Amino acid sequence: MKTLSRRALLRGMGRTGVVGIALPWLEIMAGSGNARACGGLPKRFGLWFWGNGNLPEYWNPTTTGEGDEWSLSEQLAPLADHKAKISVISGMTVRVPNDEPHDSGMAGILTGSALLMNGEDYTVQAPTIDQVIANEIGGDTLYRSLQTAASDCTGRSFNGPDSKNPPETDPFALYERLFGDTFREPGEEGIVDPRLGLRRSVLDSVMTDIAALEGKLGSADRTRLDQHLAGIRELEIRLARLEEDPPNLAACARPIEPAGPFENVEGRTLVRERNLAMAELTAMALACDQTRVFAHFLSDPVKDILFPGVSASHHDLTHNEAEPQPECHDINLQLMECLADFLSALDSVPEGDGTLLDHCVLMAVSEVSKGRTHSLDDLPILVAGGGCGTLKTDLHYRSAGQENASMVLLSLIRAMGILRADFGTEDAWTDQGLSALEA
Amino acid sequence: MVLFGGANLACTRQEDTATPPREDAPAFDAGAPVLTRLTAEQYANTIADLFGDEVVVARSLEPDTSVDGLLSVGASVTSVSSWGVEHYELAAFDIAEQVMADPVLHGWFLSCTPAGATDSDCASEALETAGLFTWRRPLTSGELDRLVGLADAAGATLADFHDGLAFALAALLQSPHFLYRVEEGEAANGERSYTDWEMASRLSFFLWNTTPDADLLAAAEGGELTDTKTLVPHVDRMLDDPRATDGARNIFSDLFRLYSLDDLSKDTTVFPYWTPDVRSAAREETLRLIETWIFEEEGDYRDLFVSTRTFVDRRLAALYGIPAPLPNGFGEVRLDKSLGRRGLLGHISLLALNSHPVSTSVTRRGQFVREVLLCQPIPPPPSGVDTSIPAPDENARTMRERVQRHLEDPVCASCHQLTDPLGLGLENFDGIGLWRDLENEVEIDPSGDLDGEAFDNAWDLGATLSGHERLPACLVESLYRFSQRRSVSDGEDDLLAWHASGFAESGFRVKFLLRDLALSPAFRQVGEVSE
Repeated sequence: MKTLSRRALLRGMGRTGVVGIALPWLEIMAGSGNARACGGLPKRFGLWFWGNGNLPEYWNPTTTGEGDEWSLSEQLAPLADHKAKISVISGMTVRVPNDEPHDSGMAGILTGSALLMNGEDYTVQAPTIDQVIANEIGGDTLYRSLQTAASDCTGRSFNGPDSKNPPETDPFALYERLFGDTFREPGEEGIVDPRLGLRRSVLDSVMTDIAALEGKLGSADRTRLDQHLAGIRELEIRLARLEEDPPNLAACARPIEPAGPFENVEGRTLVRERNLAMAELTAMALACDQTRVFAHFLSDPVKDILFPGVSASHHDLTHNEAEPQPECHDINLQLMECLADFLSALDSVPEGDGTLLDHCVLMAVSEVSKGRTHSLDDLPILVAGGGCGTLKTDLHYRSAGQENASMVLLSLIRAMGILRADFGTEDAWTDQGLSALEA
Repeated sequence: MVLFGGANLACTRQEDTATPPREDAPAFDAGAPVLTRLTAEQYANTIADLFGDEVVVARSLEPDTSVDGLLSVGASVTSVSSWGVEHYELAAFDIAEQVMADPVLHGWFLSCTPAGATDSDCASEALETAGLFTWRRPLTSGELDRLVGLADAAGATLADFHDGLAFALAALLQSPHFLYRVEEGEAANGERSYTDWEMASRLSFFLWNTTPDADLLAAAEGGELTDTKTLVPHVDRMLDDPRATDGARNIFSDLFRLYSLDDLSKDTTVFPYWTPDVRSAAREETLRLIETWIFEEEGDYRDLFVSTRTFVDRRLAALYGIPAPLPNGFGEVRLDKSLGRRGLLGHISLLALNSHPVSTSVTRRGQFVREVLLCQPIPPPPSGVDTSIPAPDENARTMRERVQRHLEDPVCASCHQLTDPLGLGLENFDGIGLWRDLENEVEIDPSGDLDGEAFDNAWDLGATLSGHERLPACLVESLYRFSQRRSVSDGEDDLLAWHASGFAESGFRVKFLLRDLALSPAFRQVGEVSE
């Protein structure tokens, strides 16, 4: 099974050009690479994304440095409890042509490449960072990666061109998927049910159909079916793992079911409530080692959701509210409150000598800086968790020279213990991490 | 092969009376084959048609994505995610278990009595029929043997024939041959054409938005769908079938993005009338008018934009300020000129869809007219541009005054001149399409012009739009793209012009256009597989 999964994952990497290699944690302990040990616990990666940018003048801290040298800005105030575990990286530039407002920036910051244009339409040309990392470390858990959202959105987790991973938007559905009938707490036995084996036989039959069909197809359709096949292999491995005893992790326990209700009130999305429910379920999915990679979407680029307490929808306000945009400011505060809630959920799970958050590399980011102008300069980037001491925390680094934002992503990939020579393409390419962030 | 028990003879048709297809189509570049995933709606329709309406299909299926303005094209471009694979598997077992638990639902393919928990002959007989209908073509003997093997193994393990067959049925429903429309064509006489089985699927999903029925599969088996002469009566039968209205509703729902009404959220403190049942009623109004126009009235497409006829229920009637035609459900009404509202651009559905959650949007409404109705793409704003619209104040209380800068600043005006004047013509309709005379206590001026043709207000704008030369040509282009499920290439321009002239000669009847596109040489011929 394992060889099969490894092969499937490597196949899915085809488009990135560079194949990274995940180090087993023993090697990491021995000191190879720039990663450090997590005390025998797995290291996790999270992408935390919100749409429509920020107001850089209120979001960026005015002081730089580490520890007491810097303090939180007005918009980052909700993160006060987490200051010791976050790093703010400001002043970085996304170096892709800004052809399509919002989506160019999304592709630039999440894939390190420009959009792939196809007539009136476009897609990404490379996987988003969560999938770059899942391709390396996703093979050992029930789910390669997990996608969730706090509003009705479609997310921006891509395996490659026109291949998106839709997020779970309903907390009840996420609960059922992760902690429903098939969930086993540590100490319980795996599931004994002959149907699991029969379901795998069915998947074998489907794979035979796909293999026979692929020979007749053009290259684009073959690539699409390859993606479908990768999904079937992932499911087949998951069904096999359900028969095994669950991982023995002290912090893992079946969480309580989300309380709800989560329906819109007066047309307004209950982002904070939905975000918190998703955060708690994600934290437990990580603690139970059901997955090591997640991507969470507060909202999509351009998404016009109505936040509580403001007079118009988010995207509308970023463009149409008069300066200094007090209502956009209010929304940004709400977004950072949501981020604080998410970090709290991770930080409240004790693990080893620290907490689950300490064993995470989490990147919070949006696709533009100022929403009104769609600027790709001074993009808001916040890193949390420190990845078992591989990344500095309690830091504000401000780039003086509009450095390439891909440098941050390369540092994060390396912090995950993945040896990777470079990240991004063309102007957004880099073979240098951001050393100021690396511990 | 006796698949249909010789029951109904699909070939006894009124071939002599049928209108022959138009001749002299120009040369064109046949497009490469595309592998199209069933949309979520097609999946549900197919299961309902094959196994019965009472079978519950999970709502969580791979989401559909719009590409080139159509979900239909997106289904041929995007890949299925691992989340999608997981949910297709759950749906397949859920359906298979419901079907195998009820003889009424499985009697049509399982007519033998199994000899025990395993009975290869009986399983084979059942799966041959179930396979033909789910995969829309006969199974090869290798495929059938493999499925029978699955049924036998599962039947033996679970000690129950029906439980075993459910696993084979779940395999049919997870196969790419079910989830995708495999239409690759085959070469003959120097050109590639779709096979009869592929034609059955093409026709059925295009005209009905669901899987082929037994008659159509029988016609495919009889080789009747690749020969124009025998194809015509089948197309005519399909267009006269009630399922053609489902097909047309799907086409226009896709084209006008009416499916987005489902989760269209508005600030209900600003728009207290925006409730979930208004969203679905607004969509129903538009689809009912289009359906009636195409199949009952067989009217001129252009007149949909000046129609004073529409269909409303009590709720919509109240929003339009007219008496409800019926105490329950939808009834026909005529809109009086005093209401200021007529045609599709006066429908709540399109007005609300192309607005912001708290306000109207003159740009979005204009963009809809340009991009969707006239096929004139509007480029995105240049990067770094300040896109803001000044807030209303003493000097600029109406949207017309506030967007002046968009229309005067040369950076903005090149595109906004195309969109905003049309949206300003619809400013008498608020963000959910309710009539208003005033904005911030100032009378709204809805006058403007569309490519040099002046209009006084929304009532006039409909007439101006209906006379625009791009309007019918754009519909031809959009429906052609829908039927081919791919973007159109330059090598198809002549063929499109030929379809457009046929559409004009028919008096711009959409039913004629659907028939013409189904009988188009481009519907039968396919290009080489692209490497």
